[in-house]
Amino acid sequence: MAHSFRFLDDIALADLAFQAEGDSVLELFRAATGALLETLADPSTVAATWARKIEHVCGTPDELLFEWLSDLVYWKDAAGVVFHDADLCVVHEGTTWTLAAVLRGALVDQTTQTLRSDVKGVTKHLYEVTQQGAHWYARVVIDV
Amino acid sequence: MKLNTDMRVNRVTDEVWEIPMTEKSGMLVPARIYATPGILQTMDRGVFDQVTNVACLPGIARYALCMPDGHWGYGFPIGGVAAFDVKSGIISPGGVGYDVNCGMRLIRTDLTLDDVRSKLERLMAELFRRVPAGVGAAGFVRLNRDSFEGVMTRGARWCIEEGYGWHRDLVRIEEGGCIAGADPSTVSDHAVGRGINQLGTLGSGNHYLEVQVVASDHVFDPDTATALGITGQDQIVVMVHCGSRGFGHQVASDYLKVFEKAMRRYGISVKDQQLACAPFRSPEGQDYFSAMNCAANTAFANRQVITHQIREAFATVFGISAEELGMELVYDVAHNIAKVERYPEGELLVHRKGSTRAFGPRSQDLPRVFQQTGQPVICGGSMETGSYLLVGTDRAVHETFGSTMHGSGRTMSRAQAKKTISGEQLQQAMRRRGILVKAVSMSGLAEEAGFAYKNISEVVETVDRAGITKKVAELRPIGNIKG
Repeated sequence: MAHSFRFLDDIALADLAFQAEGDSVLELFRAATGALLETLADPSTVAATWARKIEHVCGTPDELLFEWLSDLVYWKDAAGVVFHDADLCVVHEGTTWTLAAVLRGALVDQTTQTLRSDVKGVTKHLYEVTQQGAHWYARVVIDV
Repeated sequence: MKLNTDMRVNRVTDEVWEIPMTEKSGMLVPARIYATPGILQTMDRGVFDQVTNVACLPGIARYALCMPDGHWGYGFPIGGVAAFDVKSGIISPGGVGYDVNCGMRLIRTDLTLDDVRSKLERLMAELFRRVPAGVGAAGFVRLNRDSFEGVMTRGARWCIEEGYGWHRDLVRIEEGGCIAGADPSTVSDHAVGRGINQLGTLGSGNHYLEVQVVASDHVFDPDTATALGITGQDQIVVMVHCGSRGFGHQVASDYLKVFEKAMRRYGISVKDQQLACAPFRSPEGQDYFSAMNCAANTAFANRQVITHQIREAFATVFGISAEELGMELVYDVAHNIAKVERYPEGELLVHRKGSTRAFGPRSQDLPRVFQQTGQPVICGGSMETGSYLLVGTDRAVHETFGSTMHGSGRTMSRAQAKKTISGEQLQQAMRRRGILVKAVSMSGLAEEAGFAYKNISEVVETVDRAGITKKVAELRPIGNIKG
């Protein structure tokens, strides 16, 4: 199983955009999570001293990904943290998609962490999640 | 003239261009762009597409407008102005922007460059310590839900009551720093959770705190400058650019979802999902207006607490009180907001997104202190090139719903800027030019390099020549704090 992401240069002049892809919906979520974590801070400089369990149920994978990425932005502000990593589990049953996640990170510390952009939100501008064969793609524009 | 659009763009004057209603199906009014021919040619395709999309929204009055610092935004272009009839028109979070009441504040001092030069390093360190910036930064003001509701409803007034500022500051803030009709019950717990720890923080992106100098040869209107407290004798001033932080963004995100559903109920279709809107008089429209006002008041309070910290920092470094240093507010003005105002058409809901209110002298909506000068307008440039103080005019009220530009406007993506220069290189280059920069994020600093923005002087010349704002003074940076 593989996933990757890349930042897109010319999608959002004043903000940031990325394309994430994976061999499954789970891998797509891992890729998009990695992109957002990297936008906020270098995860390798962030400890895992804070953790939060998060669960979402949605009708489609694109709704689920949007809710999940928005959660990362929420906890960044509400708890004053940046993130190290996340354990993700995505289950598709009937008409529902369920995400169970454990998000790990640490309180912001400007002396030890390499901090980057303070993401204000995930937007619906040009937002899409698509499937081509067994491969999944997402394009996400984030407001910074 | 080669433009980034296939639409017909007609010259009205050398600074005003019109896209007629025939250029896009559904346009209810023409679109007008304020720009010199040179600026018009550099405007991205999004400006033309988006300003004409706005011209299709129900209840729009006269024109959909874009200012010379305009560029692509979410739904509305940045630099966009649109006014809607309060009875038949809509309200749209996309016309306000995610960072509700993002705005500018300017503080004067009696200090000169000579007074500050030898202490600049220490001053910037003290400001950097006292004004939190960057990812996840929390403010020093501890709030519970009740006190945060006080911030939402009373804005800068709440700060003054708590000791963060001087009572006379209020008269020099748009709306006295407190917009009526802010009801916290229209704000989600999620928004409160994001905002409750952020009072007094700068954020990141293009937000900053800047120590600037006003040289005498950069004062264009000495009488008005003097009336506003600007002496221009190498005078030190401080500029703040920030907004309602995560709180305002969550308010906008929450109501975009509400409006997506409401549009189906009210039979409204829009050309871009980010233009989601609701009739202003509908329950959803009124709830958003109230929540937006909560965010706007929070932004006024945010800049007020930051001002308190700036005054404390100066007092610490110079060893005398902020009052003795003459640290009076020049003005605080929003550039992301929607407000009900009266025009010949009647009561209109004016959306300004990356656009500043610019009321002229003798406006009934201005306090006595600005009756002669007109309302101060503060326009921030890139951190390398400088900023401007201007004043509003009667012509703006007649032509642009009392609105003008807000900044210089980006021309290069953040990703491209980072490929062109590193934050460390930029910081060193600016230090060699006499600008001391302190930043939380070096990559974030690189994204804000001066070459990523339009030349602000050309943008300012456009609005000055168009007569919708008049130049007062140019402000040059000597110290900058970024998230």
